[in-house]
Amino acid sequence: MPDVTITVDGRSFSVPAGTNVVDAARMGGIAIPVFCYHPRMPAVGMCRMCLVQVGMPKLDPATRQPLMDAQGQPVIALMPKLQTGCTTPVSEGMVINTKTEEVQFAQKGVLEFLLTSHPLDCPVCDKGGECPLQNLTMEWGPGQSRFDYNDKVHFEKPVPLGDLILLDRERCILCSRCVRFQDELADDSVLGFDHRGRNWMIVSKSDPPFASKFSGNTTDICPVGALTTADFRFKARVWELSSKPGICTLCPVGCNLNFDMRHDRLMRVMPRENGAVNDIWLCDKGRFGHRFIEHESRLHAPLIRHGDHFVEASWEEALTLVAEKLAAVQSARGGSAIAGLAAPRLSNEDLYLFQRLFREQLGSNNLDHHLGSPDDGDHDDLGGLLAVGKGTNLMELGAGTTVLVFGADPEEEAPLYLLRLRALVQRGAQLFVANQRATKLERSATQALRYSVGGELALARALVRELLERGAAERIKLKHSGLDALRKQVLAQTPEQLAAAAGIAHEQIVALATALLEAEHGLIMYGAEARSAGLALIETLGALAVLSGNVGKPNSGMIALLPGGNSRGALDLGVRPDARPGYVLMPQRGLPAQQLWSAARDGHVRALWIAGLDPAACLPDAREALTAAEFVVVQELFMSETARMADVVLPAASVAERDGTYTNAERRVQRSRAARAPHGQSRPDWQIFQDVAQMLADMMVLPHPRVEAEGAKPAKAAKGAKTAKGQNEQVVTRPPEPPRWDYLTPDEVAAEIAERVPSYGGVTYEALAATGNPGVWGRQANEAVFYDGTSYENTEGIGIALPSLISTGRFTLSLSPRPAPVVKDERPLLLLAQPLAYGGDPLLRGSLLERQLAQPAIVISQSDAEKLNIQNGDRVRIVSAVGELSAAARVHADLPPGLVMVPAGLPGLCLSRIQTGPRTRVSLVKVVV
Amino acid sequence: MPLSEYIIMRELNHPDINQFAVYRRVGGWETYAAALREQTPAALVQQVKDSGLRGRGGAGFPTGVKWGFLPKGVYPRYLLCNCDESEPGTFNNHQIIDRNPHQVIEGVALSAYAIECHTAYIYMRGEFASAALLLEQAIAEAYAAGFLGKNILGTGYDLDIYIHRGAGAYICGEETALMESLEGKLGQPRLKPPFPAVEGLYGKPTIINNVETLANVPRIIEKGVAWYRSHGTEKSPGTKCFSISGHVNRPGNYELPFGVPLRELIESPEYAGGMRGGRPVKIIIPGGASAPWLTAKHLDTPLDYEGVAAAGSMLGSGAVIVLDDSVKAPHVAYKMDEFFKHESCGKCTPCREGTHWLVKVLHRMAEEGHGEANDIPTLHSIYRQMEGNCFCLLGESAVMPIKSALELFPEEFEAIVKG
Ligand SMILES: Cc1cc2nc3c(=O)[nH]c(=O)nc-3n(C[C@H](O)[C@H](O)[C@H](O)COP(=O)(O)O)c2cc1C
Ligand code: SF4
Ligand code: SF4
Ligand code: SF4
Ligand code: FES
Repeated sequence: MPDVTITVDGRSFSVPAGTNVVDAARMGGIAIPVFCYHPRMPAVGMCRMCLVQVGMPKLDPATRQPLMDAQGQPVIALMPKLQTGCTTPVSEGMVINTKTEEVQFAQKGVLEFLLTSHPLDCPVCDKGGECPLQNLTMEWGPGQSRFDYNDKVHFEKPVPLGDLILLDRERCILCSRCVRFQDELADDSVLGFDHRGRNWMIVSKSDPPFASKFSGNTTDICPVGALTTADFRFKARVWELSSKPGICTLCPVGCNLNFDMRHDRLMRVMPRENGAVNDIWLCDKGRFGHRFIEHESRLHAPLIRHGDHFVEASWEEALTLVAEKLAAVQSARGGSAIAGLAAPRLSNEDLYLFQRLFREQLGSNNLDHHLGSPDDGDHDDLGGLLAVGKGTNLMELGAGTTVLVFGADPEEEAPLYLLRLRALVQRGAQLFVANQRATKLERSATQALRYSVGGELALARALVRELLERGAAERIKLKHSGLDALRKQVLAQTPEQLAAAAGIAHEQIVALATALLEAEHGLIMYGAEARSAGLALIETLGALAVLSGNVGKPNSGMIALLPGGNSRGALDLGVRPDARPGYVLMPQRGLPAQQLWSAARDGHVRALWIAGLDPAACLPDAREALTAAEFVVVQELFMSETARMADVVLPAASVAERDGTYTNAERRVQRSRAARAPHGQSRPDWQIFQDVAQMLADMMVLPHPRVEAEGAKPAKAAKGAKTAKGQNEQVVTRPPEPPRWDYLTPDEVAAEIAERVPSYGGVTYEALAATGNPGVWGRQANEAVFYDGTSYENTEGIGIALPSLISTGRFTLSLSPRPAPVVKDERPLLLLAQPLAYGGDPLLRGSLLERQLAQPAIVISQSDAEKLNIQNGDRVRIVSAVGELSAAARVHADLPPGLVMVPAGLPGLCLSRIQTGPRTRVSLVKVVV
Repeated sequence: MPLSEYIIMRELNHPDINQFAVYRRVGGWETYAAALREQTPAALVQQVKDSGLRGRGGAGFPTGVKWGFLPKGVYPRYLLCNCDESEPGTFNNHQIIDRNPHQVIEGVALSAYAIECHTAYIYMRGEFASAALLLEQAIAEAYAAGFLGKNILGTGYDLDIYIHRGAGAYICGEETALMESLEGKLGQPRLKPPFPAVEGLYGKPTIINNVETLANVPRIIEKGVAWYRSHGTEKSPGTKCFSISGHVNRPGNYELPFGVPLRELIESPEYAGGMRGGRPVKIIIPGGASAPWLTAKHLDTPLDYEGVAAAGSMLGSGAVIVLDDSVKAPHVAYKMDEFFKHESCGKCTPCREGTHWLVKVLHRMAEEGHGEANDIPTLHSIYRQMEGNCFCLLGESAVMPIKSALELFPEEFEAIVKG
């Protein structure tokens, strides 16, 4: 939009045309008070707080030119009534007065009116101290009450709206921010109004009340203490809090948050603004799900097994034991007899040092960041190779952007993406949602493509075929190979055959292909369901991105939703059996997690180090293996099932107790800071790894790392990503320096990563602290985004987006996807392990979300239920080639026939017992009692 | 002088005009049938424009001009007939329907055709149960006679008319709140712009008119613009059903040409028949509860939009409330504002909280008979804090009674404070 010049309180400046008066005045540093207006939602003009005087230049009716007065100034015609600034768009020459007597009278009047209802119970209100009503009253309001009636509004208070939120209707100023947030941004229309006049009130429309994964945000934008969280209620006064900047590691979005601490205690979690990640929001998992940090069952000291029980030990003792045992196994059987698993929520520093410990000090490549369950699937490399281009910012995208979300359920896998993708659509982007079943995001799609069960690959191929037919291959700019193989593969079937196999009308396929091709920016996001179809699908999606020209540039590329908060970091930094940091392929692969358990059971792997994962909870194979192993170290927050089977248990510091960096789904590296001292004697993971490594180095187990430099090839990674011959990395050929194991702080580790891992070049703590220009996110210099509490401001850095690997020029992309996996099993139904935000994540322990954890259920379609004569609630058994399990049936109206959905990760429902791989065919029987 | 021919209350004195057959016999539905066959929608809009017909819902906005705001080529369009009629003192819509529901339905149908719409809704105040039944029946008869439905009279024009009964809220008469209510939402006004003609019901171009407005349309088309304009004044052509109530001898609805002096409406034995017991006129509220008050010195004001405005009030819905000297101004203001408080939708602060506070003070003064020293300045500042600052006109209307009372009869308030 072109700029227009306006004059606010006598100061003239330019703002984009169409900006509303409130935003425009703030651009000139003039704050017009607001209650109902929120810069992230369309204005409604209800509270009348933002009344200002507005004038327009008078036009000469004949010439349509502004009339000038004697001084040569334009004559201004003031509007007869004050105008609400939030609903008035600016136009050229507009004059706005925010401080006249009339305006001040009106603003003071609105505040006085609000206070005639308001209980003024600030001393017991959690909002007190960061309350816009308090603050605006101080600045604009009357000093004294003239309302001499004992007649405030009275309601029962507080009313719990679900487990998380409390509503105090007496304090509500009826601004509707909460309702609009839920309707317009979260797409959970669970709040509404009832009655009218002074009895007009907020009600919950859902059962259970306030059923939304984003409810906590309403407590931030509520301008009074009408909505507060059950989790902060009466915990502290806000001025006692100190905000410690952290990163949420509960999913791959990597939201910026503040741990609000009183001394050493976590009082609440608040969002921290980052326009490129979470804007000003947090999902409820991030906000309420960090109580594990202070859970009473946290491990507080190292433990050493003595027979059938553990005895507390000093770190010295425990670490020495670990080092000695590992050294013994190493020297007796070599590094291949040792294996390590690290959770994909550990920080980059942890993960990097973990793999160094294994590769350099133990000579082992048996490294992974999965549980090793049957459905782990292959490592995802396309999300790093193609990734999103550097400079991507979803917040700036709108018209001209096409997003394809394929086989993902963002609300469950990475909740904040739901808000971000919806905002994109609201700004004019096209959103295509392809899935075999309904997801919440689908409701926001400009077009939904429901492929048939098992039809995803056919759909992806149909799209690629369409692009090839339109000559897209000739326009590819990247170094690539394998085009002929791709061609052969997708041309093997006619468009009609592919469309039929996908269960999608050909026109829809054409429409999507066209939208991707014509998009200025194109993004493909894929999640658990797509990954469960194997690399054949993911690589075909990668070819789709490449053919449509949507790679290697900002705001385009691929986003993989992977489990945990730092799977991408684990993949980038070599916690995998096949590649070193930077996707540098090892000449000899180690054992992936999936092969680990049988190897340990059979005695090939004798020692295991498991950091932050709990395979024993759900994997019978793992239990067997852990029993068989000679020595097991578990590094954990809690006494997990796996820890119970360990020889040594090492207490790890939680994310809030140490500094570290994390790489999110868009490959943005962000820094999280320690908010409190580690619980008990627990230590940061990286430190534990380093200490043991140092001991091993001192024992000279491997005096010089057996560097696999010679002959090391760049990663074959996702096979679709073969690197060019003769393009071997500097990293690999650089003469290895003696390993350092004497880092004092994680920033020194980060500096090493920055130096040694090419795509992490420059990612130092210093660089991570950059906050960008003030105002880049529409934030005002002088206030949190229009009073959303006090914690929003991001002074701690917005992170650094890594370049996609393909853009580094070091990789040649292979477009030839591997063939479709062949499933021989004839069982009629496909099992889908449904990823859920409130699934079995042990980190949710101690939080209010525990009550909302998914219940075990076997979800089936209406038609399959009818066929099998199954009713809601019937006990049913799923039978696969390898096992069976039973639970109550839930009949789902909108699930396609042929699919059985079971919540993933629930401790009470071990899917791994029946899974045969990423895809499991099953049959279903009703259990007759 | 009573009209020789009623426009709105056609065949007023025919006892059975409410029967479909009788209405047909006097020429009812013929205008519509002929228009469908012979006239283009655009031609009809032009005639309504030329007639100078002004909306009877309160604002007196020229109907043809409003119809002209519909964006070209955007369909579907909706026509809404506003029969929420909830303003104190306003009761003509109800009686127009009671007397002759068919003319209203014909008016709706003809207007729908004129604005090229195929679905019309009549939004009825919830309490109008009997009127709703009459309209339902009139609609059924019109369908049976082939005036509604598909391919009407073989012309290819389709039209459905639905009745929707509200749940009893004054605010639902406000056009955008009416649309919200019709859509099944809480009845509260919407932000304007966008205006209904551009984005109305279900986000589609929508025309909303009062019952009385639409009842005029068949007569204008039937008898022609010149005939229509021969009634009333240059700027307020035609006739108006004035609802007169209060301390008059014959309260009721009287259809009169615009421009008749207020005095004639009140005093003529044909109409209100003078003041009850011959007492003097004290307060005249000429356009429903939202209109600023007039007094006996305004009795010669001509009852048309311009005349009443010149006198400092507004013609509004044409509901004239006349009160004699037996009432006290603070009481009247209290009763009126009690109504607005009760009906405030709650959406905006000044109206929601202002009406409540106003009523608190007025209750103390009028009902309890005493006041605090600051009550009068407080009343002044409350209404000034509301005036011009509310989201919709309901809140602005609530200012009128108290502002008028304080301006016209300050001594009555002072007397209460003095005790
Ligand atoms: C609070 C309020 C109540 C209203 N009630 C009615 C009503 O009951 N009937 C009506 O026709 N118009 C009512 N109006 C006016 C309508 O908003 C609208 O202007 C009218 O229906 C337009 O019809 P007209 O152009 O035929 O006058 C009301 C307006 C307000 C602000
Ligand atoms: S609860 Fe808070 S956000 Fe919601 S309407 Fe009330 S004051 Fe506004
Ligand atoms: S969206 Fe993910 S990263 Fe963000 S708060 Fe929720 S769980 Fe944490
Ligand atoms: S003025 Fe405000 S509170 Fe009153 S009815 Fe209109 S919108 Fe509702
Ligand atoms: S009316 Fe503008 S902020 Fe509420």
